[in-house]
Amino acid sequence: MNKKARRTAVALVTGAVSIGVLLTGCTPSSGDNASQEAVTQDDIDTAMTTPTKLTFWTWVPDIENEVKLFEEKYPDIDVTVENVGQGLPHYQKLRSAIEAGEGAPDVTQIEYQYIPSFVLNDSLLDLTPYGADDLSGDYVDWAWNQVSPDDPVWAIPQDVGPMGNLYREDILASAGITEAPATWDDYAAAAKTVKDSTGSYISNLGATQAGQMIGFFWQAGVKPFAYDGKETVSVNVNSDEAKKVATYWTELIQQDLISTDVDFADQWYQGLASGKYAGWLTAAWGPIFLQGTAEGTTGLWRAAPLPQWNAGDNVSGNWGGSSDAVLASSENKIAAYELAKFINNDEESAMRLATEQFLFPPQVSVLEDPAFVDQESAFYGGQKVNSLFADISQTVDTDFQWLPYMDYVYSTYEDTIGTVITDKGDIAAALDTWQDQLVSYAEDQGFTVE
Amino acid sequence: MSHSPALTDERPASIQLPKRRTSPAKRKQRLAAYLFLLPFFVVFLTMLVVPLVYSLYLSLFESKLIGGEVFAGLANYARALTDSAFLGSLGRVGLFFIIQVPIMLGLALFLALALDSTRARGSKAVRLLIFTPYAVPAVVATLMWGYLYGEDFGPIAQVARAVGLGTPEFLSAQNILGSMMNIVTWEFVGYNMIIMYAALRSIPAELYEAAEIDGAGQFRLAWSIKIPAIRPAIMLTVIFSIIGSFQLFAEPSLLNAIAPAAISNSFTPNYYGYNIAFINQELNYAAAIAFLLGLVIAIVSYFVQLAGERRERVGAADRETQP
Amino acid sequence: MTTTDTRLLVTAGDGTATPRRNRRRYTPEGRRSLLLTVLLWLLVLYFVLPLWWLFVSSTKSNSALFSTFGMWFGGDFSLWENLQTLFTVRDGIFLRWMLNTLVYSVTAALGATLLATMAGYAFAKYDFPGKKILFSATLGAVMIPLTALALPTYLLFSQAGLTDTPWAIIIPSLVSPFGVYLMRVYAADAIPDGLIEAGRVDGAGEFRIFWQVGLRLLGPGLVTVFLFSLVATWNNYFLPLVMLNSSELYPITVGLAQLQSAASQGGGAQALFSTVITGSFVSILPLVIAFLFLQRYWQSGLASGGVKG
Repeated sequence: MNKKARRTAVALVTGAVSIGVLLTGCTPSSGDNASQEAVTQDDIDTAMTTPTKLTFWTWVPDIENEVKLFEEKYPDIDVTVENVGQGLPHYQKLRSAIEAGEGAPDVTQIEYQYIPSFVLNDSLLDLTPYGADDLSGDYVDWAWNQVSPDDPVWAIPQDVGPMGNLYREDILASAGITEAPATWDDYAAAAKTVKDSTGSYISNLGATQAGQMIGFFWQAGVKPFAYDGKETVSVNVNSDEAKKVATYWTELIQQDLISTDVDFADQWYQGLASGKYAGWLTAAWGPIFLQGTAEGTTGLWRAAPLPQWNAGDNVSGNWGGSSDAVLASSENKIAAYELAKFINNDEESAMRLATEQFLFPPQVSVLEDPAFVDQESAFYGGQKVNSLFADISQTVDTDFQWLPYMDYVYSTYEDTIGTVITDKGDIAAALDTWQDQLVSYAEDQGFTVE
Repeated sequence: MSHSPALTDERPASIQLPKRRTSPAKRKQRLAAYLFLLPFFVVFLTMLVVPLVYSLYLSLFESKLIGGEVFAGLANYARALTDSAFLGSLGRVGLFFIIQVPIMLGLALFLALALDSTRARGSKAVRLLIFTPYAVPAVVATLMWGYLYGEDFGPIAQVARAVGLGTPEFLSAQNILGSMMNIVTWEFVGYNMIIMYAALRSIPAELYEAAEIDGAGQFRLAWSIKIPAIRPAIMLTVIFSIIGSFQLFAEPSLLNAIAPAAISNSFTPNYYGYNIAFINQELNYAAAIAFLLGLVIAIVSYFVQLAGERRERVGAADRETQP
Repeated sequence: MTTTDTRLLVTAGDGTATPRRNRRRYTPEGRRSLLLTVLLWLLVLYFVLPLWWLFVSSTKSNSALFSTFGMWFGGDFSLWENLQTLFTVRDGIFLRWMLNTLVYSVTAALGATLLATMAGYAFAKYDFPGKKILFSATLGAVMIPLTALALPTYLLFSQAGLTDTPWAIIIPSLVSPFGVYLMRVYAADAIPDGLIEAGRVDGAGEFRIFWQVGLRLLGPGLVTVFLFSLVATWNNYFLPLVMLNSSELYPITVGLAQLQSAASQGGGAQALFSTVITGSFVSILPLVIAFLFLQRYWQSGLASGGVKG
């Protein structure tokens, strides 16, 4: 009895240990597929006429419509679309599945800033052997650089979020401001005028919204992160340029000219609808989003480029957007690549993503298509908002990088910067704390920090 | 929910045959007993013991994004003991336990006694209505209270402003722990009340007879007969509450969506462990944190039980010495 | 054997009026306390008002939700529209989530009850080597924090190819140490040793005795363990969150949380707060109703577990 029990215990432990070994030993074996032979048209034809099942993780609503187009073109391929969560939960599930070596999809939606963290452990398939190189000219440069900072191509761009300024023309007008502020100085002055004469905040800075702040950094030419695709990172969130941006916002917040409600929460929605905020510094996906949120204010809104740091400049940053990547573990790599490509490159599919799902396009062809850019929007008083953002998209700095551990970057942003913004503290000083945490994490994780 | 370690002390088995050499009949019964236990323990082993052993194994390693996994001995445990975020989270749930649990259980006990006294009208309806929140998932409860707490549109703020109290900031960093205590209290008073009430209903009538002759009032009756009689049930709820408070997870993780600046990543030990595993990607360290947390829970439960038993003994001695 | 006799009477089904209570003459029915009544009903408000808010809010449109007083109806009465949206959003997936929850929790609760009953019965009615240590292990299991198990369990399940299947929710929910404890306490009292001995003398096997004598006497205990396991699975958020990927397999908790996060992050569409609130309201109805209808069983089942605890 005792002996048996001991044997059972030993068996259990060995079982557990062998799983551990499996776990650590199961790095996907496709690390150096850059050297892999290019795929021929024959290979593609064979793959696309062989009955195949693909799984596609994405949270784009109704993307089934575009997937249907794909399935019509390739009747032998059967695609299952799964929505496993939006943002963080999505990546957590993806990592768990990759780690378990089981249950990961073939194609996954992935936001640009998360690409490096999946490149790091060789989870993504380099798409160059499949012909992705040829697509580079189809997308705006900076978006292509996001999916392909070096030679390998890790994903196909799906949508982007070049930043602009949505504002309530009526509220600004009643404060005597007839044009959108051109510089950040003008914006600060306008903020005071608007607050004094109407009681509205000129806009809201989401207290914990790292995406928005990093977008402002991007516009200001700050290069907070860099990653060489291997083991070296550089972290520079407390550079002088970054502190200039931080101080600007600190001052506006401390003068109570900018509110700091948590964005995308019910109170914030009501603030947009009720005129508590006279504007929203947002990305190209913002206009349609706002339209659905503040129906009661149709016709009162206008869109403009972001205010500039130097008069006469014309630069912007990006906030959000995502791409579709193929996982290295996929057993149907060719078909998976064709799916990622079709969704975001096929003329009809890309156009429908832009006009029906309202994803702001990175595809040059859509950005130049009159059917897209010439749309007039009643919500914005008949303004051609798409055209404006298409122009802004040309002004985004092309060379912006991310760290291979953005989950950690965002979560520490909440704890360091988010709390300081809420308490109306000094954001520039908090950047130092944030910097320290990001560097020490990188060192603990074995990165070389430059 | 739910399981009770309140009773680690064994009660004698119902059938205690005198010890002698095992008879064939006896052996048959033993076999039957093991067969009865088998299904439960198969699932118990695979779903609890195996993952736990695996987790313990993981906690002895250190893995880095660059460089992979190496054996680290107890390094993760040493790190946890000096990790101010972990210790801070323990302090926070400790505070939660010290403040919220007495309020919740006091309220539950008061309600159970009040209902048992049958002095209130509609007590059956009262009992069910107060129990209802237990049937509400934590997800829904937190979501709902999140709206109720809202600064601009929450009904509490609406009322507070209407009567000139200003806007209460339930979701600020200073108040969020209290707001969370309220949610947990709302969810679990009814559950604890039912356990205590059920125990009160089972007090043998003989215990009351002396009091009846004395003509003791309700308060004395409650204090000197009812509460001592249901002490085991109360201890059960205390142990549940220790586990519940130290393992808080759903509430902070869901409140984080509406008050991200007030809920730090290390707000509670469990939430911290989750974030370490899934955000920092330090699975091994998370395993060590989880083990230490389990240890803390076991130690706290043990001492609380010990204190409870001592008081019972002292109480019994007091009663005996009384004339 | 008096306790056993009374217990048998309790088991007969009426937990709220046991024979013992009939002898408590010192609280005549007429002596009500107004103060206590008022106090209790004020406390009831605290527990009920949030649910009242939930109901009232589920009758409001998205805009009325934020423009009218929360505790009373306002704007158009939109309950039907909300329900319609709720049950048609994403091709009626909400109904699917409700059904999933029902299937997972009923299956898991039935299984957990059966396992716990057999184990509790064995602990209560048999003497065997290792009993003490097995029972202590069962109770000690409660201390294990869920994060210690989440990822290892996930990894084990994915090795077995069971993630993203209903089994990933049901199998872990079969372990109910509290259920074992409760059934042990309950069985010790509810099943007289004499009956078991009599069965043996008649030549019945141990399993026949369990099925025919034991189970019949364990009624309220079974209902209690069943209901509490049901609630545990019904309300579980963490496990399905980690285990499941396909929306069609989600239980209501994960589904609602996803709907809420989709509502708050927009995802290209407008915010559907009223849908989430209506969904929350609908989702709690089945459990509340189950508890109301089965109350006399679970209350008496708890009585024994509580007092002996």
